[in-house]
Amino acid sequence: MKLSGVLSLTLLSSLCLGAKRSSGGTFENYHAKSQSYAPLRLDDASYDELTATPRNHSVLVLLTALEARFGCQLCRDFQPEWDLLGRSWAKGDRHGDSRVLLGTLDFADGKGTFQKLMLQTAPIFLLFPPTSGRNAKPDGQPIRYDFTAGPQSAEQVVGWMSRYLPDGPKPAVQRPLNYVRIITVTTTLLGVLSFLSVAYPYILPVIQNRNLWAGISLITILLFTSGHMFNHIRKVPYVAGNGQGGISYFAGGFSNQFGMETQIVAAMYGTLSFATIALALRVPRMSDPKRQQLAVFIWGGVMFGMYSFLLSVFRIKNGGYPFHLPPF
Amino acid sequence: MAVEVLEPFLKGDTGRNTRGLLRLIILCTIAAAAVASRLFSVILDPWFNFRATKYLVQNGFYSFWDWFDDREASHPVAQLVYEPRKPAEEPKRTRTWHPLGRVTGGTLYPGLMVTSGIIYHVLRFLSMPVDIRNICVLLAPGFSGLTAFASYLITSEMTTSPSAGLLAAIFMGITPGYISRSVAGSYDNEAIAIFLLVFTFFLWIKSVKNGSAMWGALTALFYGYMVSAWGGYVFITNLLPLHTFVLICMGRYSPRLYVSYSTWFALGTLASMQVPFVGFLPIRSSDHMSALGVFGLLQLVAFVEFIRQQVPNKQFQTLLRGLIFVVFVVSMGVLVLLTVSGVIAPWSGRFYSLWDTGYAKIHIPIIASVSEHQPTAWPAFFFDLNLMIWLFPAGVYMCFQQLKDEHVFVVIYAVLASYFAGVMVRLMLTLTPVVCIAAALAISSILDTYLVAENPIPKETQANGQATSDSIKSAADVIKDSLRSTRNPVLGIYSYVSKASVVGAVTTYLLLFVLHCTWVTSNAYSSPSVVLASKLPDGSQHIIDDYREAYYWLRQNTPDKAKIMSWWDYGYQIGGMADRPTLVDNNTWNNTHIATVGKAMSSREEVSYPILRQHDVDYVLVVFGGLLGYSGDDINKFLWMVRISEGIWPDEINERNYFTARGEYRVDDEATPTMRNSLMYKMSYYNYNALFPAGQAQDRVRGSKLPAEGPQLSTLEEAFTSENWIIRIYKVKDLDNVGRDHGSAVAFDKGNKKKKTAKRRGARVLRVE
Repeated sequence: MKLSGVLSLTLLSSLCLGAKRSSGGTFENYHAKSQSYAPLRLDDASYDELTATPRNHSVLVLLTALEARFGCQLCRDFQPEWDLLGRSWAKGDRHGDSRVLLGTLDFADGKGTFQKLMLQTAPIFLLFPPTSGRNAKPDGQPIRYDFTAGPQSAEQVVGWMSRYLPDGPKPAVQRPLNYVRIITVTTTLLGVLSFLSVAYPYILPVIQNRNLWAGISLITILLFTSGHMFNHIRKVPYVAGNGQGGISYFAGGFSNQFGMETQIVAAMYGTLSFATIALALRVPRMSDPKRQQLAVFIWGGVMFGMYSFLLSVFRIKNGGYPFHLPPF
Repeated sequence: MAVEVLEPFLKGDTGRNTRGLLRLIILCTIAAAAVASRLFSVILDPWFNFRATKYLVQNGFYSFWDWFDDREASHPVAQLVYEPRKPAEEPKRTRTWHPLGRVTGGTLYPGLMVTSGIIYHVLRFLSMPVDIRNICVLLAPGFSGLTAFASYLITSEMTTSPSAGLLAAIFMGITPGYISRSVAGSYDNEAIAIFLLVFTFFLWIKSVKNGSAMWGALTALFYGYMVSAWGGYVFITNLLPLHTFVLICMGRYSPRLYVSYSTWFALGTLASMQVPFVGFLPIRSSDHMSALGVFGLLQLVAFVEFIRQQVPNKQFQTLLRGLIFVVFVVSMGVLVLLTVSGVIAPWSGRFYSLWDTGYAKIHIPIIASVSEHQPTAWPAFFFDLNLMIWLFPAGVYMCFQQLKDEHVFVVIYAVLASYFAGVMVRLMLTLTPVVCIAAALAISSILDTYLVAENPIPKETQANGQATSDSIKSAADVIKDSLRSTRNPVLGIYSYVSKASVVGAVTTYLLLFVLHCTWVTSNAYSSPSVVLASKLPDGSQHIIDDYREAYYWLRQNTPDKAKIMSWWDYGYQIGGMADRPTLVDNNTWNNTHIATVGKAMSSREEVSYPILRQHDVDYVLVVFGGLLGYSGDDINKFLWMVRISEGIWPDEINERNYFTARGEYRVDDEATPTMRNSLMYKMSYYNYNALFPAGQAQDRVRGSKLPAEGPQLSTLEEAFTSENWIIRIYKVKDLDNVGRDHGSAVAFDKGNKKKKTAKRRGARVLRVE
């Protein structure tokens, strides 16, 4: 049993060596190339050669348009990830056990292919399954992957590939250590630390300033209660046109809002709060009766007017709301 | 004359008593108002909790603990008798989460059921036989009265003004943000949890103030109660340590803090571990690690303080501080290491989605799909809190005036809770108490200032202007770290005109607030989800009762053990009202199981049918709003089903396939084949165009015209459609008697000839001979 295992192993390895030496098959040729430069850079001819049927290997081709004149931001964003994926795949699969080739076909090199496939958009992945051999798929039609969800990471692409690839080694993506980043982070950290230790006596009173903290807390609260997180999560537009050339500041509908709308609302809340604070804390501390009287009228008026405006804005959002205050 | 009569009641000891009595009466009135404003309409929901409570009352606590929900749900309501009886020998079959069954005791927060069980037994002991159903219905309003009282207590800790507490109580009692979750019949965990939340915070403030182990232990006790009642207890678990941490950072460490925090942490953690659903989470999950970390830090700080008192050497103290820093960093490192290596469970998904708002959308569609987990737009804040939303920042600012330990707590609570409420609509509930407290502080501060009858005597500013400004300056020096707007001494309001105008305006606002609350409560929060109200053209109200109609139909016309498949939102209602087993319900945590249902709904019939058969499904229920324009229907939720099942079967389900080439979600002629062949689409629109003249079928929710030819169903048959077509129920066909597949069987029934023969025949040729 053991003997036979060893025997088959040696046989296999000799076969592999033989295959390598003979350099007969398409896969072996290109796999050897991919060891020095991955992912492979294809053109029309090599694309046709790689994807010709019958084939006993899988091919993953990224059809992209890198030249600046096409203005494909997504292509250029994804390219570093793709190179990384190609390199780590080549490194992790030196002997070609996975029988997968990764190639890039830039529009500049493969106009013919783009026309043949009638592609309007880039980048696109095509994954060609093998049509002969153990894991053959009868129709051999490529599986297409669109970048509908924006730029993808190399890991996500590997995950997608592995779903369709037959069993075999699937090297994980290995990201190189980013030395520049490590150094920058360390330097910045040390810099900040030393700055803090030097400036500590000057910063301390600022940190301990109650007004500062009160301001920070109030701004945070106003930000959150005026729906900032909604803008952040839903990525709402800042303003929108009202269809007549003007700007509509308030979005229709109860659970809908614009970026600017929330800022207006936050400003209203802020004004109302400030009026409240002024009436409750500032005004009773005024020593001059005349000025105090004036201040009461001003702040009371601001509060009343603003609240009335707030209610009228709310009636825009919620049609059936029955309450309002006089001016608006 | 009247003043003289009243005089002895308002001064001295009698005065205090009178005021105390008045306060009590006011509080009772507030509690009554809080209860009364929640009685607009009554529908018991969710049913599962009620079913569990019935089981608890009938079979006793221990049996409830071990309840494996796999047999006849409970004995019919009519047989509700007190004697705890053994579960009868009934055929074993699954009621919920078919076919898995549910270990109920270990998968729910039992606080709610136990509370009503205790009330039930106490009332029986007092020989007041009350139906458990009534207790369940009235539990939430009753506890809202207690919540009002708790907010009175906590606000009274914040300020010396007695009116603030009363204002906070009435705010808490009638604010729509809280009513939304506590109307009569809303028998959910939140019903008691908000009271526990506020009361625990009150006890915590009390214990920090007094530094007493007794208050600390009480905090721990109510914390334990809270843990047993609601998953939101994690908010307390993180807020109290944060408060402690901030106090330490502010240099406000004191033995009081040490005693209260240590007591709470030790006892509270033990108490929380008694709940089976929580179990060992408090020492294993990252959600609870901040409490542990602060506990450790507090021990270190206490140690240093102790040493400092013993050793006067300054250098030694510096060394000690360094030591503490090192220990803290090392323990943080170990914590991170343990988290990375997997000994400590990473943050649970819901909490990820709180911090990294994009996380849930990508990784856990099941959390992102729940409408309560959506972010909050600003109208929702105003709708739920009305004028308090702008009094809230003012109140927080007033907390900075004195900034004692308890005020720090309010500030932290305010900032955190407003963030959480912004991220998830559901967490508006945790924001409401602090908003009420802060708004009460602001309003009471205004009223206290402007309701003083005596006017201060204006000083001769010209004569001693110099002197006053000097004295002001020195006062400002004394209280250096106070707020800018409160540096000068309080003088008062000079004229009656200003007093009258401000008080009048504030009263108007408050009256408007009451009107707003009444309006919101009667309009928005009192229409239960199972009964929809609509207005007819003539203005009269029309009740749409399709849900109950359909559930009643299920109850009457289907065999007792028929399994119903529906999307998980309707699981509790079907389980409760129709009394039929369901595959998934609102509390299912098994993602794969939900995804299975999603897959069955979103696949072709040929794929779905085996799934339905494997899960013994007899009936499939869908909610369809196309006829009525009811937007909360299943087609609108459909994408979530697709996403959730795509998470498990990415090869078979692909969200992209349900969108047209231009990326639109459509149901009309341009809908993609995948969409039109999905079981959900077919079930929703089956036979729908029969209602309209040919080719004019219209979907009123999506506002689109439907294809001229409706979808064909072969493996299901329509069993029931409610009056307004909101609920449609389909029966899963049995296997064909003759062994055909369903498609050809239907074709045969319709009189179509077999396609094969048609093909073979070829073109007709004229015979010429």
